[in-house]
Amino acid sequence: MARSRGHGLLVDRVTLFFSVLAVSAGTAVWWTRGDAAVRAAFGHAAGLLLMVLPLVLFAVMLAAYIQQMLPMGLAERWLGAGSGVRGLLLATLAGAVTPGGPFSAFPLVVGLRGVGASLPVCVAYLTAWSVLGLQRVLVWEIPFFGADFAAVRLLVSLPLPLIAGAAVMALTRPTRGD
Amino acid sequence: MGVAYLTVAVLLAATAVAAHRHPGVEHRAVWRLGFHQLRPLLLRLPVAIVAASFVAELIPPEWFARMLGSSSGLPGVLLASVLGGALPGGPSVSFPLVLVLSHAGVGVPQMVAMLTAWSVLALHRVLTFELPMMGWAFVWRRWLVSVMLAPLAGGLAMLVTG
Repeated sequence: MARSRGHGLLVDRVTLFFSVLAVSAGTAVWWTRGDAAVRAAFGHAAGLLLMVLPLVLFAVMLAAYIQQMLPMGLAERWLGAGSGVRGLLLATLAGAVTPGGPFSAFPLVVGLRGVGASLPVCVAYLTAWSVLGLQRVLVWEIPFFGADFAAVRLLVSLPLPLIAGAAVMALTRPTRGD
Repeated sequence: MGVAYLTVAVLLAATAVAAHRHPGVEHRAVWRLGFHQLRPLLLRLPVAIVAASFVAELIPPEWFARMLGSSSGLPGVLLASVLGGALPGGPSVSFPLVLVLSHAGVGVPQMVAMLTAWSVLALHRVLTFELPMMGWAFVWRRWLVSVMLAPLAGGLAMLVTG
């Protein structure tokens, strides 16, 4: 069974989920289409893996460099006092440039709450980090789906952090004024 | 795919050079951090790709085109949003999965909706980071306003791509 988190080549919940899915879907393919289809699917998966694995290797190392270089205290100083539309815009900008995975974004949001950032600002920040995060675009999206796709997705995602922040503002107005 | 390798290789080289001039950064520490983050993927990624290939084999291509192709319109965007919200794992796992789907004929607005739902709803991230660190009061409000974002992004992408 799954060992505790953070120890080497562990079988975590995500891996377990995919293992079960692979075995059951593989069995279903074999049952309905026979050996040849299973071999074809394996061949397809192996080809894709060979293509993707070096990309993932480079991308992870690139992300590690970015994480080491950018100072995290900067965003906290910026966003702590921001409020209203100006706060939401700053939060959107900060979320877009925050590098790294949830390991870096969530501690930052906890810090932001600690220094007095409002709930809408925190939500706008997290939404921007999720949908506009430039590091993810450069490291993952453009290599996998191409610059054209990334451009369309970024364009339509630009208003999303503001919308999410404003919606939370409307939601919390009765209990928490600005 | 050649362009992809080139992009990432150039970016990696450029950041490595920049880091070399940066006082507080040690290459060995960076590679250790990178390998630490890579290690869980070495098993997870192959298993996920094999699973996705089998699932794609089971679903007939006409189904993808009808339900999630660019002609599937808003219902396709809504379905893609639901599927995206259920995608597990970080980009290293979910992007290869979405790549398998895109080869199977998913339309651009539908892919936009799927990736947006995956990134803002991210059930796995909520359970491991957001709920323990931010608390329930924060999580339910953020979720409530985020549910509409993926269909919105997909709808806007339909307008942009015509």
